[in-house]
Amino acid sequence: MGDSAYSFSLTTFSRTGKLLQIEYALNAVANGRTALGIAAVDGVVIATDKKFASALVEGEDVSKVEAITDSSGFVYAGVGPDYRVLVRKARKSAQAYFREYRETKPVGQLVKSTASVMQEYTQSGGVRPFGVSLLVAGIDGDGVPRLFQVDPSGAYFGWKATAIGKNYVNAKNFLEKRFQDDMELEDAIHTALLTLREGFEGEMNGHNIEVGVVSKSDGKFRLLTPEQIQDYLDEAN
Amino acid sequence: MSRDSNYDHHISIFSPQGRLYQMEYAFKAASSASGLTGIALRGKDTCVVVTQRKVPDRLVVPSSVSHVFNITSKIGCLATGMIADCHSAIQRARYEAADFEFKYGYSIPPAVLAKRMADIAQVNTQSASMRPLAVVMMIVGVDEEKGPQVLKVDPAGHFLPFKGTASGAKEQEATNFLEKRVESIPEYSFDETVRTAIVCLGSVLGSDFRGSEIEVAVVQGVQGKFQSLTEEEIEGHLNAIADEND
Repeated sequence: MGDSAYSFSLTTFSRTGKLLQIEYALNAVANGRTALGIAAVDGVVIATDKKFASALVEGEDVSKVEAITDSSGFVYAGVGPDYRVLVRKARKSAQAYFREYRETKPVGQLVKSTASVMQEYTQSGGVRPFGVSLLVAGIDGDGVPRLFQVDPSGAYFGWKATAIGKNYVNAKNFLEKRFQDDMELEDAIHTALLTLREGFEGEMNGHNIEVGVVSKSDGKFRLLTPEQIQDYLDEAN
Repeated sequence: MSRDSNYDHHISIFSPQGRLYQMEYAFKAASSASGLTGIALRGKDTCVVVTQRKVPDRLVVPSSVSHVFNITSKIGCLATGMIADCHSAIQRARYEAADFEFKYGYSIPPAVLAKRMADIAQVNTQSASMRPLAVVMMIVGVDEEKGPQVLKVDPAGHFLPFKGTASGAKEQEATNFLEKRVESIPEYSFDETVRTAIVCLGSVLGSDFRGSEIEVAVVQGVQGKFQSLTEEEIEGHLNAIADEND
């Protein structure tokens, strides 16, 4: 990546020892739309809002939550076009893993390789860091639900519950109050929707939020349909 | 580069607030460089694109001044922005469409092409070696499964499908016009789609025009070809619009 004319890193240390481009990338993430995730004992849920600038957009098939393997998926906060690059690379790497090992790439491995890509873009010549933080949700063969956050620096953390993007501080406080270690997936989905509602402008319905779920019962990552989301919202009311 | 604040205006790196100035400037160049406004609309089985044709000099051959391009025989594009960047983007789009058909044996769906062009645009926002292109592409075509589609690709690498959208100098006014009709647009017939697009352009420019002063191009139905309307055909629609207003 990058041209030979730019064979020097654009991300360099400041006098105080900071990597400013990474900090600025984190600011880009903090300006992005809120996304959150909760890991329950029997599954993981990730959710975000789905708002477009105009009623003219045909948004039914447009999605921020993306499946990477059968049993894992991503959501993001930050710069959309950068996210697409990471999704594409992750899917390709998962496919290459399957070709070699004939097993689905485990979530932890997926996180490591994606984080490694993001780190490369903080050090390679002529490129800037990715302006996204990712939430990675999945269940491996061992049946343990996992939720990870990956930052523009390439650092990654495992979470029980977390939020990224605008308003993430309030969202995380809200989650901290409500999270229980023995939480089940159904409760987690309700809590996720309640947390989203905190920062939501206007009325939430099945068409203006996205929810991705992976459950221990079948180990498959799927997006909830608008009707399913509406059912959960109606139950919450 | 510890004092990043100046370079962030010159190449695609983050500003302290997390903005990408080069990308924002590319947007500005795309909307104001040509001074044109473009509109794309999709009805029940038809897609239409409309824009002004501003011939800079009487000696210029009018047919050589165009922002409307075929990418394949069935997919068209209205490219607003700096015309040289438009030509570059269109050349690449034509290559990508042809390469897809060669590799996979069927014509590229409009949305797949739009995503590919958007991913290509994204590279220029992350790599310092090339600036983003000052082009907003509105790719139109009739998908076999999804029907008529309008997809807008911008310098940042965003792309979205629209029922109707606009770009260029009067983008906001044109979008407001279309938003008022958002419920009825997807059901429009061929004539309604074409005439609404033309009326929209007329209303935001605040003036009437002749058939030679605008470009209109359509594609109708899955088997349809993307082609520009002749001056006579445009005049026909303009007359019909005038009659409806009387």
